[in-house]
Amino acid sequence: MSNHPPSTDDPANWPRLGRLLSWVDRPGSAHRLFWGLAMVCIVLVMLDFTYKKYGHFGVEAIPGAYGIYGYVMFTLLIFAAKILRDFIKRPENYYGDKAVDSETYPEDQLDRVQYGD
Amino acid sequence: MATSIPTAYLFFAAAIVLLALPKGQARSILLLVVPIIAGLHVWMLPEGSLATVSFLGLDLDLSRVDRLSRVFALIFCLAAFIGNLFAWHVRDPVQQVAALLYAGSAIGAVFAGDLITLFIYWEGTAIASVFLIWARGTTAAYHTGMRYLIIQIGSGVILLAGVGLVWQETGSLTFGAMTLGSLGTWLIFLSFGIKCAFPLLHNWLQDSYPAATITGTVILSAFTTKLAVYALARGFAGTEILIYIGVVMTLFPIFFAEIENDLRRVLAYSLNNQLGFMVVGIGVGTEMALNGTASHAFAHILYKALLFMSVGAVMFRTGTSKASELGGLYRTMPKTAIFCLIGAASISAFPLFSGFVTKSLILDETASAHYPLIWALLVFASAGVLSHSGIKIPFFTFFAHDSGMRPAEAPRHMLLAMGITAFLCVFIGVFPDTLYAILPYPVEYHPYTMNHVVAQLQLLLFAILAFGVLMRTGMHPPEIRAVNLDTDWTYRKAAPSVIGLAARGVAQVWNAVTGKVTRIVEATIARLYRSHGPEGRMASVWPTGAMVLWLGILLGVTLIVSFVS
Repeated sequence: MSNHPPSTDDPANWPRLGRLLSWVDRPGSAHRLFWGLAMVCIVLVMLDFTYKKYGHFGVEAIPGAYGIYGYVMFTLLIFAAKILRDFIKRPENYYGDKAVDSETYPEDQLDRVQYGD
Repeated sequence: MATSIPTAYLFFAAAIVLLALPKGQARSILLLVVPIIAGLHVWMLPEGSLATVSFLGLDLDLSRVDRLSRVFALIFCLAAFIGNLFAWHVRDPVQQVAALLYAGSAIGAVFAGDLITLFIYWEGTAIASVFLIWARGTTAAYHTGMRYLIIQIGSGVILLAGVGLVWQETGSLTFGAMTLGSLGTWLIFLSFGIKCAFPLLHNWLQDSYPAATITGTVILSAFTTKLAVYALARGFAGTEILIYIGVVMTLFPIFFAEIENDLRRVLAYSLNNQLGFMVVGIGVGTEMALNGTASHAFAHILYKALLFMSVGAVMFRTGTSKASELGGLYRTMPKTAIFCLIGAASISAFPLFSGFVTKSLILDETASAHYPLIWALLVFASAGVLSHSGIKIPFFTFFAHDSGMRPAEAPRHMLLAMGITAFLCVFIGVFPDTLYAILPYPVEYHPYTMNHVVAQLQLLLFAILAFGVLMRTGMHPPEIRAVNLDTDWTYRKAAPSVIGLAARGVAQVWNAVTGKVTRIVEATIARLYRSHGPEGRMASVWPTGAMVLWLGILLGVTLIVSFVS
């Protein structure tokens, strides 16, 4: 038996599911995911031409209407949130010691276990 | 016989039994068995008023069962079971008893057929739940709990005032549909609104839920706000103002959630946003819209609990729920990561997940009722949900940059609780008819049409694409250690400083006035002493006869008084 616990930074020691998921951190994976997603999005817009669209409002009939709306509004949301942050951001201890933001969670209610221990 | 016992009493009896049991697994088992029995009990209850009592000349309806109250009671039992399973390891009797009394009160309130019973349980949920915050045992938790309690009790007091006025006006205490108009109904509406976290009345939610214990937050997330949703659905269905209140509720939290660092607070904002959808459904008020609200509350309790559990499990292992400290945990907590992703997909309303089959009922009814702007805003809010609950929570916890933390997987009971909940989220998404069957009104709705599925996938996947673009261009706001101001600033900072300022002002005026008066009095005494004191000039000319004279006068007065009387 070794005196040293197995290195948790060696993917070989991670749980199997974790190793499978680690595909996302391989070089190029993020890139592939992004372009894969873009392809799926294009297919979804193409699909709009293949069936009879019905909706409550006229705009819903435009091919890709939901996609465009989702893309634009998501981007606007993020920009708006960034602007909002400039106004309302405060240091973490802003409310002093009567706020949970600046305190640590009581250790006796935790069960910190390192993987492999 | 068994049906005439209100379901809530099972929980209260269990709270007493729990204290008689030895500390340890026996208590944890009891905490699991009670919600199961209660759930079966609710399932078997026939419709009608099953337990009426007369108290101080008031007719109380302790157990009014109909399809609306039953579906809420069922999900409350389920939530209690899941929350208690997640908290299997907790040995703190305060939290265990609080969980039982809290769930019992919430179920009692749902079955309340009159406003007095509703009030009693309304306050019951407030008092029982605060112990889940205080159980954290820190100064900050104590103060946050006090703020929470003041607001919750305040809601109850306003409710009681409203009930009194309505009673005086109508002579009836029945808890049924009301129309806004009189002061009494407005007060009841306001009281429901506080618990339901209406805009500007909402901040108790984001303030207190991140302050509770890890397991406490999971339990808190289920009851209070959904009880308020039930109460609104019962009392104010079809009240148009709720549509506008609801849509604001869906919108403003998504901006705050986006920039919030504490993931449990992100989830509290997200909870607020989800309540907005339910409130819109109540405002629309048609049978299908109310079905939408009830089903969305049902699905929401599950996926919200799942998300709180996954973040809680991470916190249990790492000690923090701050996005800026986390990242890359999928490596050693892959199961928790998967469960979190299922919760995220459910709340984002991906097809085949629960949110999809419930939220669309509300959206469809809003569109059918011809509220194009409201509908468009709700669709936007749906993309907003995706941004913080669908992407931010799982991405910045389990993926994104590697925080270097290698915590062990969540304990088995937590995984089991998350697994059951995740299963239910998918099950409802795949077999929506099972949920539709227990809704208040008959449902004729098919969520899985080509039209609907493609539209929803477009909305969500394009939004994720936008996220990808923002990440690749570095324009997505980073997770940073900070707090953000919200309306709680008014009573945590502004009011104390205004009061402090006023107190200082009053103190200055007081000190100035009393100082001046004291100086005048002292100067007068000193002057009199100088002239009339033993060493004073006047003392030297006091005749001894003056004493005799005064004595004579005193005797004379005594004589007259005794003569007259």
